Amino acid sequence: MALHLNLLHEEISEQRQRQRDPLKIGVMVLIALGAILFLYYMFSAYRTLEVKTRLSGVERDWAKVEPQVTAAQKRSAELNDIIKTTKVLEDYIENRFYWGPFLQKVSRCVAPNTQLTSIDGNVQDDYKGVTVSIEGTAAGREPRAAAEDLRQMLVEQLGQSYKDVKIEFKALEDLDTIVNIGGTNMAMAHYILNVSFNPYSAAKSPTAAATTERPAKQR
Amino acid sequence: MKTGGLSKDQIKKISLSAVGVVFLLYVYFTFFLGPLARSRNTMLTAINDKQAKLNASKGEMSKAATLEVQAKAATAKFAALKGLNSEGAPIAWFPPRIKVFFANEQIDKAGARLETSVAFKEPELSGWMKYNWLVEIPQADYAALGKAIADLENAEPLLSITKLTIRAQTEQAQFQTVDFVATNYIQKK
Repeated sequence: MALHLNLLHEEISEQRQRQRDPLKIGVMVLIALGAILFLYYMFSAYRTLEVKTRLSGVERDWAKVEPQVTAAQKRSAELNDIIKTTKVLEDYIENRFYWGPFLQKVSRCVAPNTQLTSIDGNVQDDYKGVTVSIEGTAAGREPRAAAEDLRQMLVEQLGQSYKDVKIEFKALEDLDTIVNIGGTNMAMAHYILNVSFNPYSAAKSPTAAATTERPAKQR
Repeated sequence: MKTGGLSKDQIKKISLSAVGVVFLLYVYFTFFLGPLARSRNTMLTAINDKQAKLNASKGEMSKAATLEVQAKAATAKFAALKGLNSEGAPIAWFPPRIKVFFANEQIDKAGARLETSVAFKEPELSGWMKYNWLVEIPQADYAALGKAIADLENAEPLLSITKLTIRAQTEQAQFQTVDFVATNYIQKK
């Protein structure tokens, strides 16, 4: 076997050393990593551009629709307001107390021997009812009985249309005056009747009343 | 001097390379990829928002169209109620209207004066005012008065009588003196 002498040992070793230089390897790794990152950046940038294009498209569509939507929303709000206001006004109209029929009923109860001198009526707030004070004179052999007849008639007549009818004498006193009715002298009594009733029993609140049918016009 | 196969110089160079890599990654993510991702996310959010608005807008427009049909009756009724009141200040047209109304019912000398006017608390009636009028009729026949009041209540749906006083006249017992408080809903002008 021939003897082999390596006279360039130091030179080769230096060359190997240079090839295994960590800085050089590091730079190469950095370049490779940089390239990968650059490619990924480009990919991301492309995706971003694509998203931007999509956004422009959606914005264009929205710009076309927006005025119509705004107008529709405005109109909806306006219509909702009208519906709500109309409903409240309807409730108010439907839950009014009509004095016409009441006065008619009172006139039906007044007999020739009774006279009304004043009627003072109040519609209570918040649909609590109606209170009326009726003052007058009654004549007859038993004037107090005539006044009581009027009270009974009022209870009967008002009870046909209203709920919780309550009629009480606030005052009932004999008068010294004698009145001539149909040629007969009769004694007189002065009375004050307190009348209270509830015309809203069917509709306790305006909201509930909205569901009930509107009453027919009075006559 | 060598440590575990690497010379001191090599360790120094590797450390330098590692620092370089970290720096590169920091710069890349902070100044390049980060803003790009943020901008993309912002745009995606904007797309989602707009898309949601677009989807909702279709429903909104069809809802408005349906409401328009449904509200036809209410709109007509509202216009009719609005039309009940004349233009201008109520104090200018309401008293003459009442005077004419009762004159047509054969009741003369009816007068109306404004007692109070208040705004509504209800938000639905924010555009309306409540006017309380004191109507005075110096002389009326009971039957004619009853008919006139009934006609007034039918002709003026936005008016309600809250207080009524009828007193027989001392000189002419067949006639009465009448006062009543009428509340009227009138739209603000």
